[in-house]
Amino acid sequence: MEAMRIDDTNSVEQEKFLETAVKTVKAEAFEMKRSLDKSKRMDALKHASIMLAELRTGLLTPKYYYRLYIDVVNELNHLESFLLDELEKEKKEESIAELYEHVQYAGTIIPRMYLMITVGVVYMKLMPQMRAELLNDLVEMSRGVQHPLRGLFLRHYLLQVTKSLLPDAAEGVEPAIPGSGTVRDTIDFIKLNFSEMNKLWVRQQHQGPSKEREKRERERMELRILVGTNLVRLSQLEHLTQEVYEKEVLPSILEQVVSCRDPISQEYLMECVIQVFADEFHLATLNEFLASCKELAQEVHIKNVLIALIDRLSLYVSNAVGSNIREEIQLFEIFSAQAEGLIQSRSDMPIEDIVSLHTALVSLAVKCYGEKLAYANTVFLSLANNLKDKQVEGIDMYSHAGKELIRVLRVPVDEYKDVLRVALLTDYPRAMLPLNYRGRCTASAFILQNLIDNETGLKSTDDIDAVCSLIECLLSDQPDQPEDAHDSEEFADELNLIASMIHLIKAEDRDVQFLLLNGLRKRLGAGGKWRIRKTLPPIIFSIYELALNYQQSDGDENWDMKVRKMFVCAMGTIGALITTGEMTQLPLNLYLEGAIVANRIKFSENAMVVYEFISKALSVLEDEIADSRERLSALALVTNSVLKVDCLASENWEPLVGQIILAGSKMFKKADQVRTLCSAASLYWKGKVAESEGELRNGNKVTEILKKSAKVAAQCMEPLVQQQLFVHLLNQYYYFYEDGCTVISPDVLSELISRTRDAAIQLEPSREADDIDQHLQHTLQHIRNTKDKYPELAEKLQI
Amino acid sequence: MLVLLIGDIHVPHRTFALPAKFRKLLVPNKMQHVLCTGNLCTRETYDYLRSLASDVHIVRGDFDEDPKLPDTKVVTVGQFRIGICHGHQIVPWNDEKILEVLARQLDVDVLVTGHTHVCSIREREQRLYIDPGSATGAFSVIQDGPVTPSFVLLDVQPEQVVTYMYRLIDNQVKVDRVVFKKNKEVQ
Repeated sequence: MEAMRIDDTNSVEQEKFLETAVKTVKAEAFEMKRSLDKSKRMDALKHASIMLAELRTGLLTPKYYYRLYIDVVNELNHLESFLLDELEKEKKEESIAELYEHVQYAGTIIPRMYLMITVGVVYMKLMPQMRAELLNDLVEMSRGVQHPLRGLFLRHYLLQVTKSLLPDAAEGVEPAIPGSGTVRDTIDFIKLNFSEMNKLWVRQQHQGPSKEREKRERERMELRILVGTNLVRLSQLEHLTQEVYEKEVLPSILEQVVSCRDPISQEYLMECVIQVFADEFHLATLNEFLASCKELAQEVHIKNVLIALIDRLSLYVSNAVGSNIREEIQLFEIFSAQAEGLIQSRSDMPIEDIVSLHTALVSLAVKCYGEKLAYANTVFLSLANNLKDKQVEGIDMYSHAGKELIRVLRVPVDEYKDVLRVALLTDYPRAMLPLNYRGRCTASAFILQNLIDNETGLKSTDDIDAVCSLIECLLSDQPDQPEDAHDSEEFADELNLIASMIHLIKAEDRDVQFLLLNGLRKRLGAGGKWRIRKTLPPIIFSIYELALNYQQSDGDENWDMKVRKMFVCAMGTIGALITTGEMTQLPLNLYLEGAIVANRIKFSENAMVVYEFISKALSVLEDEIADSRERLSALALVTNSVLKVDCLASENWEPLVGQIILAGSKMFKKADQVRTLCSAASLYWKGKVAESEGELRNGNKVTEILKKSAKVAAQCMEPLVQQQLFVHLLNQYYYFYEDGCTVISPDVLSELISRTRDAAIQLEPSREADDIDQHLQHTLQHIRNTKDKYPELAEKLQI
Repeated sequence: MLVLLIGDIHVPHRTFALPAKFRKLLVPNKMQHVLCTGNLCTRETYDYLRSLASDVHIVRGDFDEDPKLPDTKVVTVGQFRIGICHGHQIVPWNDEKILEVLARQLDVDVLVTGHTHVCSIREREQRLYIDPGSATGAFSVIQDGPVTPSFVLLDVQPEQVVTYMYRLIDNQVKVDRVVFKKNKEVQ
């Protein structure tokens, strides 16, 4: 808060200073233009000079000085174009020379230099043959301003206005107009201007009290672009050849950078060089550039410089144009040696910087040398070793270092889009280890996500081993895993990814497919209670799917043995879900699904397997499922599964069905007994056994069970529930009647209808009563809709 | 009013993802209601459905663990009462007459059930019976061979419901349209 207040008062004060200065600039500019219009050139220059004197101020900070400078430069542009116009008309060589001479008499140096530059530009435009000489003149004379801020802006003005005038003719060839200069003159001009500007910029650091160091550094950062403009100009020269760059331009820049010993300047200018000059130039001067890097001040973040260079060159080299360059220059070797040297020489380098250097190297290796896996692998090895040397472990993935580590691990995953290829980087997993438990899991999770997104098929044991090596931390309990890890959403999501991965196992051969599933089952089975609950069910489904597909394949002498193995495997896996996984509902469902699968496959033991699966499901129901809603749902599933099965002999079928009916009649609530019994009745109607052709259609048994449930319904004490059950029974009776169950007589139906009709009248009005009545009305309507088919019934019912 | 009928997704039990072509079609702010016949199996799938519309109704499939999900649910959309039930509780599975008993009991105009993994639409005694099939084409022990991924969109208008059956056949989305008028036969 304190700091902000000071800043506020500062800016109020600054605004005030600026306002005063701008006022003078405007007034003098107005007078200058008036004089120009009256052709009083000398008066105009006098006003211009007073206006320019405002730039001598020492009150403004760089930000505000810049605003003043912009206003002044606008006015100077006006002066320049006016003079150019006038003098062009006059066509007298002497007048411009005189004018240039005249402005040199201005009293103080700031107005003098600005006016000399402005008039000098007019001079150069009128007389191109003077260009080389004038440029040299101006850049030398500007040395007179040694105040950092003023000097920087003055030299920036010089650069701005001469932009279109800089000679760019090839060196060694006489230019069309003698004296108009070649690229050589421009290089000399900018080299000098650049080194002078840099000196001013560096000197700024050493002015004022030391307690304002931070403020000064901030101000200097605001001005860096002024210095950088020199390098931009150089890079824009068409005739700056690679040779000249290599032999002269870069060495002089680097010499300036190294010798100034100023960290801010060094870091900025090195990055600036990387940014502005062509890739080919960088490739040609790589060693010189990197050698200078080593000479930079300790405070310079060289990794930023190095990363910028690596990123820039990997982009260039990875493009088709640069493809043969990577053979010629050992880019990867050079950079990895540099990075390693840097890390060794700076023992205090933060972990995140070490990692980010490796990120740049991995990108280079992966993007430019995709075929050389050894390169990328070396980087991960070096990263792992570096972090080990620093004895860092348990890195939080949200810390700077952690984020950077996740980033570097992502590079080959995102770039290869093939997890199996990532797995070939044998040292990659070692680079995951410094992360803490959550971080490692996160890394493994994005690897799996990538596998799934790209639908990378797993075809062999090797493939599965390869993936498992990358997701080790997800497969079993880890020493650094929190006690309650299994409670988190991430844990569940990650297991779902493993579960999804199982569906990418796609061996070409069905026998191999089973081997793979069985192998993975053993591996996942060791994951403990929380993991197997999610990871084993997909294995079982995959086995069922495989078994059904198997059926379609042709004769195989080991067929019976193979099928048997699959069901043994499935049964054992379900068993693990019950004993280790402590689950009930899901294993029961899986047993029943297994029974249906076994029933559909023709093999010697299918009846035995079906019986085993269903009886196991019934045991789970009896022993483990207490909740009545779960029991209801489980009984419906068992009943339905038995309905789907047709290979059991009656001697086996009967006990199973007996169990179902028994379980139904043991339901705690009467209503549930009625409903399960009604459902079970269909076993004797639609069920099938091995000996019989088609459905059993045993009407006597059906009515026996329905009667039993009607008896139970009648015992129900609540009128509403009882009515509900009787409407349900009516529907069930009519269902079998419609389906041709002749044991059900029209009398029974008519009795049920009058019973429910009578009861409906006696029910106390309520929402539930209305709903039940609605159900009854819909039922009667349905009977009416179909009565034409059953004349005997229609007569009886008279509806 | 657009109503999405979807279910039997079974990720990650039986498959790993919804087909990409369906994901492109099923985007937020298109449907007003989502009615799901169950077997989502994970919270992620649930979140995905929630992202499609603000009004989401789900019934419990035989592989859903959440005991809070109901077995049946009735949702009123416009003039139509729509019932949803997964269908594994119905004995025998997918028996037309028994489904009709359920539709009468719930007093609905449209009954949506799943479990078969086969998309179907039929009309009987002025009620519409829809099975959206399996959106992922998940394998089923009661089906022969590969399952066709499918879902159904209902356009509920004041007097009629237009149904669009989306099926992924040879990786091409095939759409079939059926109109159901209240108190009239299917056209």
